[in-house]
Amino acid sequence: MNVAEKPVIAAASLIGQRIQKKDAPEKAAGKTRYIQDMVVPGMLHAKILRSSRVHAKIKSIDTSAAKALPGVHVVLTAADVPDQQPIGVARDHLPLKGERVRSLRDEIAAVAADSDEIAEAALKLIRVEYEDLPVIASPEDAIKPGAPLIHPTPLDAHGRPQSLPPKTPIAFAGKPDNIAMRFDYTHGDIAQAEAESDVVVEDSFQLHYVTHCCMGVSGVIAEFDASGNLLMYSNTQVPFLHKREFAEYLNIDPSRVRIIQPPIGGGFGSKLDIYPFEVICIFLARAAKRPVKMVFTREEEFLASPTRQPVLLTLRSGCRKDGTLTFRQVHTLHDNGAYTSWGATTPFVMMQTFSSLYRVPACDYHTTVVYTNNPYAGSFRGYGNLQATFAIEQHMDMLAEKIGMDPLDFRLKNAQDAGEVTGQGMTFKSCGFKECITTAAERSDYRKKHADNIANRNARGPVKRGIGIASMLHVGGGAKIYPSDGCGTILKLDDFANVTLITGASEIGQGSETVLSQLVCEELGLPISAVTVVNNDTAITPWDVGVHASRTTFIAGNSAIGAARKAKAKILAAAAKKHDCDEAALDLRGGFVVVAETGEPVVELARLMRNLHFSDKAELVMTTFYYEPPSVHQDKAFKGDVSAAYAWAAQVVEVEVDTETGIVKMTKVTGTHDVGRVLNRLGLEGQIEGGVVMGQGYALTENLIVENGVTRNPNFRDYKLVTAPEIPEMDITFVESMDGEGPQGAKGVGEAPAICIAAAAANAIHNATGVRIFGLPFTPEAVYRALRGKSDKPHWPAWKPE
Amino acid sequence: MTAIERYAAPQSLDEALGILQQGEVTILAGGTDLMPQTKAGRIAFKPTLMNIGRVAGLKGVSLDGAYLRIGALTTISELLRDPLVVQHAPVLAEACDQFASDQIRNAGTLGGNINNASPAGDTLVPLIVLDAEVELASKPNGSVTTRRLPLAEFFTGPGRTKRAANELLTAVRVPLPQPGHVARFYKFGTRPALDISTISIGIAGIKRDGALTDIRVAFGAVAPTPVRAPRTEAALEGRPLDAEAIAAGADTARDEVSPIDDVRATAWYRKELIHNMTKRMLDHVAQA
Ligand SMILES: Cc1cc2nc3c(=O)[nH]c(=O)nc-3n(C[C@H](O)[C@H](O)[C@H](O)COP(=O)(O)OP(=O)(O)OC[C@H]3O[C@@H](n4cnc5c(N)ncnc54)[C@H](O)[C@@H]3O)c2cc1C
Repeated sequence: MNVAEKPVIAAASLIGQRIQKKDAPEKAAGKTRYIQDMVVPGMLHAKILRSSRVHAKIKSIDTSAAKALPGVHVVLTAADVPDQQPIGVARDHLPLKGERVRSLRDEIAAVAADSDEIAEAALKLIRVEYEDLPVIASPEDAIKPGAPLIHPTPLDAHGRPQSLPPKTPIAFAGKPDNIAMRFDYTHGDIAQAEAESDVVVEDSFQLHYVTHCCMGVSGVIAEFDASGNLLMYSNTQVPFLHKREFAEYLNIDPSRVRIIQPPIGGGFGSKLDIYPFEVICIFLARAAKRPVKMVFTREEEFLASPTRQPVLLTLRSGCRKDGTLTFRQVHTLHDNGAYTSWGATTPFVMMQTFSSLYRVPACDYHTTVVYTNNPYAGSFRGYGNLQATFAIEQHMDMLAEKIGMDPLDFRLKNAQDAGEVTGQGMTFKSCGFKECITTAAERSDYRKKHADNIANRNARGPVKRGIGIASMLHVGGGAKIYPSDGCGTILKLDDFANVTLITGASEIGQGSETVLSQLVCEELGLPISAVTVVNNDTAITPWDVGVHASRTTFIAGNSAIGAARKAKAKILAAAAKKHDCDEAALDLRGGFVVVAETGEPVVELARLMRNLHFSDKAELVMTTFYYEPPSVHQDKAFKGDVSAAYAWAAQVVEVEVDTETGIVKMTKVTGTHDVGRVLNRLGLEGQIEGGVVMGQGYALTENLIVENGVTRNPNFRDYKLVTAPEIPEMDITFVESMDGEGPQGAKGVGEAPAICIAAAAANAIHNATGVRIFGLPFTPEAVYRALRGKSDKPHWPAWKPE
Repeated sequence: MTAIERYAAPQSLDEALGILQQGEVTILAGGTDLMPQTKAGRIAFKPTLMNIGRVAGLKGVSLDGAYLRIGALTTISELLRDPLVVQHAPVLAEACDQFASDQIRNAGTLGGNINNASPAGDTLVPLIVLDAEVELASKPNGSVTTRRLPLAEFFTGPGRTKRAANELLTAVRVPLPQPGHVARFYKFGTRPALDISTISIGIAGIKRDGALTDIRVAFGAVAPTPVRAPRTEAALEGRPLDAEAIAAGADTARDEVSPIDDVRATAWYRKELIHNMTKRMLDHVAQA
């Protein structure tokens, strides 16, 4: 007898493996074709003329010479698009400015021409006459009584304020003060909590301008077909929201707008809003009756893409001698810039950190967002949380020092646990916060180093070592900001058992294609290579809110799992029928239908699929699933369980401070993240490393210098991104709290790694030198000045409008 | 859209000087300064663009009697690795090691760095403290003539030098070091790679019995051109390098420079750096 052993297929899991990003080889080989590389037949090239004044009335615009330049097809100003509608959350922003410019980035005219060079030359031929207005260069100035208004109410022919119907957008009706938005939140009794405090600290913190610096700069191609349908190739992170909004601005049916996203060279939140250039490009395409492409130069990207929200923040915190936190009171002044984008709404996230990162019985939070003539702020990875954490985590160290308690013990005493419902109504279902703190502290030897560094402060030699810790809380299960926080999936298996995963979730470099494929393959027992992901065309993919709030793995992941499980059920039912067995006893592994218990193959999946395709009663495997997380909207008082899960982390930063130059060298970052569960370990590590470096840039080097409304360093020479030799050693570990709602137990982590670094660096510099610095960034000169007592501590007497 | 009417790529010095003599020529070497500056509109191309990259004899390092001779087309990467430079002018190699990135070093030339005449040019300060001189060639009336000028006297302002329009910088000559010669370079940038000097410092001299003589001190990025610091040199000349002398040298250095505020640093901070780092360098020289 010659009998081979019966093959069995053991259960194997992809979860927690290191899986290479699907798009990595193509990107590493330089073969990815971004919007910059795209050529659409017949397309024109567009450029925007921006203001040369920070704040001025436009007296006249003369485009005649530009129009006469050979090769120029269209020149547009506000006068040419009388139907333009205001954009942005506050509807205070007309894409083309006709009467007034409010910041240096303001769009005055646009040209579509045969080439970029011709368009550029045409811009130089446009003559604009201005009448300068006083410049509001700081939010403090904007709230002074009698300050010039950024959006004054327009006057009628008799010089009286025009009377306009209620709900007329600010862009037409103006605003009687410079206050763009307000946020007021409170829980608990602040006065009583303060009375019960043994120690109270109050400080102001100043957070600066930084910008995303996506390697792929902003760009769009707009094209109308013969029936007037709009097709856009766009870098947006939120295609479905944009589809609706563009339809609204153009007054056409949303079904006539289609958005295709070419591979996106980084987003980080910068592509989360509609910007004037996109609307202007559509206007140009409409006027030219040709496809029009507009791509920013790097300088333009610095000048005219959004920034992180600069914040002036005054924080009062109290605790008892035993280390129990009593209250926090926060007032912030947000510099909105001239128009309102998502930066104005960062308080949604900031107040969560103040109210709920630690258990605090009373919290009182107020933000006033004011118009100035500065560049305007948008959303940026972390969404206000870097700013809030910078303040709160310095105060944690300061309070601990005041009551003579170890900073770790102080944090642990007040840290949240699973099961907690915070004053803001956030419910912590899974929570590995304390484990994050203890793990990061142990792995970095925090306690010993912290003590040693203090002892060595006065030792000889200019270089002092420091160690600092900071922690964070961020949404990890989406965020219910819109009526829906859902995502749809369509999944199909072909006659070779290859899967097409059609998802609403966009890939912006974060690795979503890979992790979604992984989750599907985990269900279907297939290799990652069996999956093709389609995720970039609103005419094909099901709806999704967009890439924001660290939500994609969680929301789109649950949606993909839902679709895959339905497919699996169909497959097993078909296999059971065909092979006459119990479907409950079957499973999918290694490309086979197997008997779950023994691993014995029943039929090769590809074969089964072919049989299904070619049988006379063809039943193909195509499924859909829509996942909506069980989170709720906040009420008017900003309370409610807005996310289906919450992510936690603690990061320890080690530095060397050269006290003779002020150079702060970040030597090591030890980070522990509660990610729910590790799905793609490689992707996760990459995400964390990138986030840490982004946090490092925010802390130490990046600084968009805006003086009197003028951006002084719109280039990579003087805007300093972290370069390779500066990147610290990293020790990254994960806490797996196995979230009950998360896909395979996972939670979102996209924004988390950037959040703590600046706060931990501040604590580390203090540990090294005994000097606490309340403003960012910690550039050598800023640190040197602080060490010499030559810097002004930020000071803002807490204020809110009555 | 550019004003370039003619592109020339001469193969010999004679030919190159002939083209220069006709006037209205922009010289292109590695292009790492020229291209960004013309693109940004800071300088305009002349009608003739002359690429000197193929001119024979402008590249490489050689010994020329008591001098090290470095051709104008020698790249920063080549300087960094050149055995003669490493042996006879290690401080120049050290400066090249803090210069830009590999890509820029592979294209950028010594002649370009000098003729760009930036106060922050990183080879200038070490070359000045090494008493380097530049060699300028021209062909005014049919035959090639050459003149030499101390590098310390070559610069007249940012982007401006004593080179006449018909002259080409052909080489730099550095005297071979005397016994006991020490030289140090310090560049302050806010990051270890790819940064323009906020300040730079060069110190050289002959160290004997704990004292420095024939001292040269030069600073970059604190004035419209790289500058020698005669008062600082005088404060140190011949004195034993003890704590007192070092403090006096550093104090004088701080007083001697008059930098400006710009996006990279304030004048105050630049003066502090000059003081602190001059002191640190002198400490190192004293201890070495
Ligand atoms: C990203 C980046 C980083 C940089 N970092 C540094 C740095 O760290 N330190 C630093 O010092 N510089 C730096 N530079 C500037 C530049 O790279 C150097 O100055 C380089 O040495 C210039 O050499 P080049 O051959 O490219 O000059 P080019 O750009 O070809 O020429 C520069 C100027 O010199 C003239 N010229 C060139 N050769 C001659 C000659 N033989 N005779 C007469 N005139 C001549 C040209 O006409 C031009 O005006 C950097 C530049 C870039 C783009």
